[in-house]
Amino acid sequence: MLHVENLTASIGDTQILKGLNLDVGAGEVHAIMGPNGSGKSTFAHALAGRDGYEIGGTVTLDGADLLEMVPEARAAAGVFMGFQYPVEIPGVNNMYFLRTALNSVRRTRGEEQIGASDFLKDAQEAMALVEMKSDFLYRSVNAGFSGGEKKRNEILQMAIMQPRLAVLDETDSGLDIDALRVVASGVNSLRGPDRSMIVITHYQRLLDYIKPDFVHVLVDGKIVKSGDHTLALHLEDHGYAGFVNHDLDDAPLTGVPA
Amino acid sequence: MSQAVLASRSVALEQMASLSLPTKRDEAWRYAPHKKLGQLTFGPATAPDAVPGDIDSQIPHIKGPRIVIVNGVVDASLSRLDKLPSGVQVVSLADAPADLAAGMLDREYDGPEDAYSIINRAHGAGGALLHIGARIDETLHIVDVVVPGVAHNASATRVAIEMAAGSSATVVETRIGSGDTFGGSNVRTEISLAPDASLEHIILQDLPSAQIHLGRVDVTQAARSTLRAQLFNLGSDYSRVAYHVYLNGEAAHADLSGLYFGFGTQTLDQQITVVHSAKNCTSRQSYRGVLDDSSTGIWNGGVDVRPGADGSDSEQSNANLLLSKQAEINTTPRLEILADEVSCQHGATVGQLDEEALYYMRSRGIPKDEASRLLINGFADQVMEDLHIDTIRSWITERLGHDDA
Repeated sequence: MLHVENLTASIGDTQILKGLNLDVGAGEVHAIMGPNGSGKSTFAHALAGRDGYEIGGTVTLDGADLLEMVPEARAAAGVFMGFQYPVEIPGVNNMYFLRTALNSVRRTRGEEQIGASDFLKDAQEAMALVEMKSDFLYRSVNAGFSGGEKKRNEILQMAIMQPRLAVLDETDSGLDIDALRVVASGVNSLRGPDRSMIVITHYQRLLDYIKPDFVHVLVDGKIVKSGDHTLALHLEDHGYAGFVNHDLDDAPLTGVPA
Repeated sequence: MSQAVLASRSVALEQMASLSLPTKRDEAWRYAPHKKLGQLTFGPATAPDAVPGDIDSQIPHIKGPRIVIVNGVVDASLSRLDKLPSGVQVVSLADAPADLAAGMLDREYDGPEDAYSIINRAHGAGGALLHIGARIDETLHIVDVVVPGVAHNASATRVAIEMAAGSSATVVETRIGSGDTFGGSNVRTEISLAPDASLEHIILQDLPSAQIHLGRVDVTQAARSTLRAQLFNLGSDYSRVAYHVYLNGEAAHADLSGLYFGFGTQTLDQQITVVHSAKNCTSRQSYRGVLDDSSTGIWNGGVDVRPGADGSDSEQSNANLLLSKQAEINTTPRLEILADEVSCQHGATVGQLDEEALYYMRSRGIPKDEASRLLINGFADQVMEDLHIDTIRSWITERLGHDDA
């Protein structure tokens, strides 16, 4: 479904992604782990289409060339990115924002617009999923939200947008254990045979709640190791030090499929 | 015409003989287009030959009484003054009973008057006088229209609003013009709030882009009175609105806010001075500006805390959004404190559209243009958070949406 081949990204003279390869099949959840500065967030933004990077390589979603598309076109194609730092937008009502977003991708796809009252029903279902109180809809987007509220708002948006590919960038950062559980159960309930997910995280903790099908280790702009969820447990015990030194053969791996 | 109106007018006419217009060396007039101001011609108020028939399409449709002033003369046919709430008088200055006019029109202010205030007193004698003696739920609407004429291209309108003790009201002043020829309006509003009176005063300035608006609002407040003044400075080639608010009684409160939204080559000028003269008064100034194309904004907001005005509490903020490299904002918070136990805060910000927020919205599928529009409206709408008159809200949003297209 998602095919990433030899993806490179640089800002000015600094190359951040140095030839990243990844294939994500329909319904699969892939975790990307790596030390700070390894390029995890850059990878997420390269998929979502942020300006300011020099991008090379190939990225296709269901055969469509994502790299040719502006961010809003990628959203219409089915990409959703959960931000590590959701942006505060004072003065823009959360519900209006969500409905505008949904209707924008529907318009691009040639689908019917959704009216305010139908939308409210869908929004209320989505809110129950992440245990949000109804006043959330009437506040400005993320303005004055706590860290946990912001992340729940991201998952709420994902539930409303129903993306083909969800890229969750450090969704666990800044969450206490209760908020983490709510966010993770929201994500889990959105898993499905037609929806793929890339879960980016520094810590294994999130993967206790969202069990990935595959784990990839990103170091210095490349995926240096792939395995199943036990790879995450290995990282929890041993850290990234072995990978940073590219000394993979010496690292005592367990449970990695041949 | 009553003695008070005549006296005020004849003094002004004398002063006219030695009138000198402001120059760019006057700080409060520094960014004004002085050459264009010099081309405004004023004269005795005369109704135009043809009254513009379509003023209703240019103003919000507020239910309730209204007084329409065209070229400085009250137009009875366009006004709706037959069903005034009890305790309210709305009359033309020219017809004002002597007892009402006296005391309202010979008020002394402790600052020197500028040339346009003197011109206003000389030629604005056909304006409106509002006397509020009760608590009024209905919104009173004053509509000022300039139709540039052959004899003179600018109009002068004097407005007086007297709030009796314990009274409350909402007064909206909509200021528009007709046609696309050069001209302008000079409107001066004098407001007096007796103890415990409360006034919500809203100015909607939307003259055509070839015209100039000069507005001035002088307010004196007695003990425990409350003023909420909102300015929506939208139209005109150059529009200047100056507030002079005098907190003369203890525990008076003035809350001033506004939005200026400039396009093309507009210059929108806000000049605010709040004088704390009595103990424990509070004042707020909160203004937002959005400037596109090569428009210019000026925000010059001052607080003077006079000796003895102990316990004064003031806050000033001015936030600006520049949408183009050619747009310009000049923002100056001023503060002079001569009393004790005073809390005065001020801040000004100038920014551009938040690229992160644009990207965030686009990543949700919202096209760039629409995302920009949402961000701009979100910024501007914050001025309207406390504006509860729906017809005015929607008029402003439509007005901005229209120009934004």
